[in-house]
Amino acid sequence: MLEPTMEPDVKLRSLSEAAALVKDGSRIHFGGMAIHNHPVAFIRELLRRGTKNLTVVSHVSANDVDMLIGAGRVKRLEFSYVGLEEFGTAPCFRRAVESGQLELSEYSEPVAFERFACSARGMPFFTTREMVGTDLPKVNPDIRELSDPFGSGTYHAIAAAEPEWVVIHAPLADKYGNILFFPHRQLPEDLDLTASRTTRNLIVTVEQIVPHDRIRQLPYLNLIPRFRTTAVVELPFGAHPCSCLHVYDQDREHLEQYAKAGRDPRMFEQYLETYVYGVNEHDAYLDLIGAARLARLRHVGGGLQ
Amino acid sequence: MTTPATAYEIMAVTIARELRDRELWFLGMSTGPQTILLLTRLPIVAMELAQRTHAPNSWMLVAGWIMNPVVGRAPNRMESEFGNALGEWPSEGYNNSLTMSYIAARHEIDVGFGSAAQVDKYGNCNTVAIGRYERPKVRLVGPINQPGHFVLFGREIIIMPHEKRNFVDAVDFVSGAGYLKGPGSREALGLHRGGPCMILTDKAVFRFDQQTKLATLTSVHPGITLEEVVANTGFTHDYIPADVDDTQGPTEEELRLIREVVDPNGVMLPR
Repeated sequence: MLEPTMEPDVKLRSLSEAAALVKDGSRIHFGGMAIHNHPVAFIRELLRRGTKNLTVVSHVSANDVDMLIGAGRVKRLEFSYVGLEEFGTAPCFRRAVESGQLELSEYSEPVAFERFACSARGMPFFTTREMVGTDLPKVNPDIRELSDPFGSGTYHAIAAAEPEWVVIHAPLADKYGNILFFPHRQLPEDLDLTASRTTRNLIVTVEQIVPHDRIRQLPYLNLIPRFRTTAVVELPFGAHPCSCLHVYDQDREHLEQYAKAGRDPRMFEQYLETYVYGVNEHDAYLDLIGAARLARLRHVGGGLQ
Repeated sequence: MTTPATAYEIMAVTIARELRDRELWFLGMSTGPQTILLLTRLPIVAMELAQRTHAPNSWMLVAGWIMNPVVGRAPNRMESEFGNALGEWPSEGYNNSLTMSYIAARHEIDVGFGSAAQVDKYGNCNTVAIGRYERPKVRLVGPINQPGHFVLFGREIIIMPHEKRNFVDAVDFVSGAGYLKGPGSREALGLHRGGPCMILTDKAVFRFDQQTKLATLTSVHPGITLEEVVANTGFTHDYIPADVDDTQGPTEEELRLIREVVDPNGVMLPR
């Protein structure tokens, strides 16, 4: 390969450097979906830093956003679902809403997805009819009525997601911020790719940094080119206790523990003390979870599909 | 003589008989183990049973993205909508992009499956909040895909655990639009198709009266008494017609298909 005469910007950052980019009051999207691929290690760092007053623009969230809500860091949530799938409802989200402490703007799931596609297309809004008849437009002033100029009736106009910051967790990257994905992808990864195209403030945490040559060999898997990336952080098991698809499974035992702890504010404080505030960086968190436990979550060969 | 059909098997054949050939069926996933059993595993068995008895040209979209999975080769852990385990399920195709929701927007889905914390006499469903929205008694997970199920799909099969508090006169929040406030309500909003076609529970089947749009008891499952149904139903309207049938349980052949072909390892339905 020809040697480049000038090296591009190296975007590899430490977790704390990357998290420092996100200021109080930011409008932010965390990637992943349901209990998969959320950048949970990054969120733990935001919690340690004390980042607050966030507006979270989401679609289908779980313990990632629930944990931020439980620690009182979220002012407003735009979403379709916060829950833990087989582990039940999201305990902190539930408590915050029931005590009137969280500003909500909720949509049906495909509409919440499409808000990101709309941003990625550079459009300010789109229209839909799928929430007609529901009470969502009554409680969400962001769902506006609009007449089809071609005469087919009344629609709801929905604003594009327009996040200021997007943080996603992905399998591989080089130090310049080119992000490699596996050939077979599922909806969480597709949603992350869409979200990556909605801002130029993009932080990607990855399982592993690979040599730049790997990108040149697999350009068709470089689905987020480095011009998009603000910072890339190497965080093995950075989605734990969620899964990172094709790399490791969700930690069911830990998610069960989370669901239980979250139900009681005191136990939740204890949880944060143990897994967030009590560890000063990601490696210490991994040590706390334990090598044997993490090894058993691995999905060896998953990326081959 | 095989062992008698379980409640789940009775429910599975009830769903299968509601499904027709050349249709598109859409199944989302759900929250909590009990809902996952009723709303995920049960319809999956019913859909493959229908494909094996009368609907070979139908097409199932499981979790919206796995097309015609081989149910008998399901992963043991299939609770999560997009987990590694589901990704390895042998199937006929994948749709792994957010454009998968466009097929619904085009009104191409014929049947969907839904559940809720509350269903009311007009088939409206609630997955958002019990009590006042701004300060709810119980905050639920959110609307997810329910609005589209009731507006964009051809018809919706509502599957509920049969408990008194789940069957109310009017839901606290409409996340799935049934017949809203009664005859003409949907049409007034320009909804000329779609809506719920039945409420299936572990005890009985309700359908919606063509004129009044009210949920009406159609049949009671074998082994369940009318009194048990009444004791567990919170509706206050007159939902019991003069003639209530017994739900037709599975035939010998349907039972054999469920137990030996569709779900041979008993992964889907408790035996």
